[in-house]
Amino acid sequence: MIEVRELRRAFGGVVALDGVTLTLAEGERRAVIGPNGAGKTTLINTLAGETAPTGGTIRLAGRDITRLRSWQRARLGLAHVYQRTELFASLSARDNVGLAIAARRGPYRVFRAAPRAEYSEGEAVLESVGLAGREGVAARELSHGERRQLELAVALAQRPRVLLLDEPTAGMSPLETARITELIAGLDRALTILIVEHDMDVVFRLADRVTVLHEGRVIADGSAADVRGDVRVHDVYLGKAVTVA
Amino acid sequence: MVRWALVGVAAVVLVTFPYWSAPWVSRFATTLVRDALILAIFALSLDLLVGRAGMPSLGHAAFFGAGAYAAGITGQRLGTDQLPVTLGAAALVGALLALVIGVLVVRSEGIFFLMLTLALAQIVFAIAFQWTALTGGSNGLSGVGRPVLAGIDFSAPDLMYVLVAIAFVLAALVIWGLARSPYGRALSGVRENERRMRALGYDTARLRLSAFVIAGTIAGVAGALSAYSTRFVSAQDAGLANSVRAFVTVLVGGAGTLGGPIVGSALVSLIERVVPSLLPTDLRISEAILGLVFIGFVLFARQGMVGLGRSAYQRVQHR
Amino acid sequence: MSPELVFQQALNGLSFGALLFILASGLSLVFGMMDVVNLAHGAFYMLGAYVALSVVQSTGSFWLAMLAAPLALGVLGFVLEPLLLRRLRGRHLDQVLLTIGVSLVIVDVIGQVWGREVRSLAAPAGLDGSVALIGGVYPVYRLFVMAFGVALAAAMAVVYRRTRIGMLIRAGVQDAEMLGALGVNTNRLFASTFATGAALAGLAGVIAAPVFGVQPGMDTDPGLLYSLVVVVVGGLGTLSGAVAGSVLVGPADTFGKVLFQDVALAVIFAIVALVLLLKPTGLLGRIRIAR
Repeated sequence: MIEVRELRRAFGGVVALDGVTLTLAEGERRAVIGPNGAGKTTLINTLAGETAPTGGTIRLAGRDITRLRSWQRARLGLAHVYQRTELFASLSARDNVGLAIAARRGPYRVFRAAPRAEYSEGEAVLESVGLAGREGVAARELSHGERRQLELAVALAQRPRVLLLDEPTAGMSPLETARITELIAGLDRALTILIVEHDMDVVFRLADRVTVLHEGRVIADGSAADVRGDVRVHDVYLGKAVTVA
Repeated sequence: MVRWALVGVAAVVLVTFPYWSAPWVSRFATTLVRDALILAIFALSLDLLVGRAGMPSLGHAAFFGAGAYAAGITGQRLGTDQLPVTLGAAALVGALLALVIGVLVVRSEGIFFLMLTLALAQIVFAIAFQWTALTGGSNGLSGVGRPVLAGIDFSAPDLMYVLVAIAFVLAALVIWGLARSPYGRALSGVRENERRMRALGYDTARLRLSAFVIAGTIAGVAGALSAYSTRFVSAQDAGLANSVRAFVTVLVGGAGTLGGPIVGSALVSLIERVVPSLLPTDLRISEAILGLVFIGFVLFARQGMVGLGRSAYQRVQHR
Repeated sequence: MSPELVFQQALNGLSFGALLFILASGLSLVFGMMDVVNLAHGAFYMLGAYVALSVVQSTGSFWLAMLAAPLALGVLGFVLEPLLLRRLRGRHLDQVLLTIGVSLVIVDVIGQVWGREVRSLAAPAGLDGSVALIGGVYPVYRLFVMAFGVALAAAMAVVYRRTRIGMLIRAGVQDAEMLGALGVNTNRLFASTFATGAALAGLAGVIAAPVFGVQPGMDTDPGLLYSLVVVVVGGLGTLSGAVAGSVLVGPADTFGKVLFQDVALAVIFAIVALVLLLKPTGLLGRIRIAR
């Protein structure tokens, strides 16, 4: 579904991505882990089209999307959950999701209220992430955890083929983390997911395969079990900081 | 149903103002309200950018002026006084100019957007001011033709008012319809978080451009109405002072609301036209008063008069 | 055009450019430090010219006016920043709106105090003559303007590069909030910056007065319009941007007026549009686009 080849990105003299190659099959759930500064967020932003690569190619379902803008990639089925919540602060949760649903049709529907179908679809998506009863609340009035749930709801409402998750549980309580993890685990298996995450419990619960980034390079790539056993991974990342059961 | 009936009644009352008000107020009131309604149309169109889409344009007078000139010049050059021709020309020129300027400015944001719209509009003004052969230059364009529709000459004061009031009602309905449609919600999305909008698949540059063109078109119509009313177009109509005036109107009334630009235009008209008559004639400080009122709203009541009204209403309800 | 005329117009263009630099440098400085486009900059410029008019009328000294006008404007700026802008620290767009209000008030007050007629201010004795230059005579005052602009730019460059204040300014242009974290008194810094910007506008008002006259409308044209065009073309917030913009816009405007007369400003329009399309942050701009 996603084919990344020799992806490079430098910010001035700092190389954030130094020839990253990885392939995600359709329906695959892949975690990307690595220490801070490994290039994980840059990788997601480059896939989403918000950061232009300085080299390499990105393919989505066989189509070269390296030069496409972020909104064009979104139309091809790429959805992005940001590390730092990006919502429409003064709009209600319903309108946040509604904008995502309406995006599939394009915005040039004037002088007509939103169709009923959109309304009920929005309710369903909000309910699925656990925001039932909060539809009318403005995004800025929601708690941090609820905003993360809404962020996920917005991405799901796009009905994407590929979901890019940049630390979806960042700043959440253990309880909220567990809930959102189960929510993601329960998503349609046809959906391809690439997740950047620090919480190893979340990674090993969700991912089929794990890619380890270090200094902009892939240093290990394999099943969750393989990566757990990889000595190099322990050295650069899991090493002393995190104990892996 | 009741709501629509009320809106209909209000519209009829407004449109027929000169006829029922005659026993109580002077004819000056009709002119005053007419000009306030033209300002309201102009401000409503600007609010589509400032309040809805979050595009703080300080160059909106360019489209108002372009519309005014287009109505006057097409009338004179084609020798026609047909409203559909001259008003159509005004709307078209407003839209085309907004398209040209819009392409240049829609990718920038905030202060940068404000500055660019200001600079580009100022240049439109300079062209109007200097291209004497076409626009009359610094003397202005006088002898703008009468607006005639279906054989009715709308140039008599009361009929002119009716024309303006009908246009105002239509413009307010259009803006209201746009604001509550999915399109209007998409504009709110651009205002709130453009990055997220792009991530959802919206071509936000095109969305902003479309809003810019719609606002330019309506501002062009407002300009044409001004030209019919005074039978004159001044280069100042396209000038910075007029852009500032519309911006002040929107902010003072309340950006992002339907009522804001309307009550704002009432207040601005009062300060510009009524307050001076209460002051000694050698004291010409209405602009300064407007400036102070504006500063006060920006500092202490950024949501404008509508915002003040809303919070007052909420306080009453809480009691 | 004859070569002599070209030479003469080139001088005119450069002296206009020098004036533009004096005018735009204050706007650029304030933006660089505070992320605020001061839309009262043109009104400050106008007020400087009118203050100069009064000083010259009462004392007869142009040189005194050249001190008094920037001083008066500096004091005004130093008062206005804490009175208005500081209350909305961090809300840059609203701060810009405040300056619109300030501009409305200043311009109307000027009209009320000094009247709304076209006035003029003579160049000071010694600079009011002409000198013979290649193929013609040329007003000495314009040469003075040119020299003054160059000297001011040089002085500002020295201050930027060699002094502690300059270091603060350069750091502030990068990130003014950061300076606060480093223990710099940002309240005083911002007030001083705004005062300096206003003083520069006032200085431009005095220096331009003998060339462009003193009249209603000067706050917009040339005041605000030209300083904005300069900083848009050159790039906001940097000294080099203000220099580049002035050097480009001054001659372009002058030759535009000679060559295209009626549509002279279309030339400037073309330049602005071109710069916007090719490099939206200006020729030498490195600004963060503030929301």
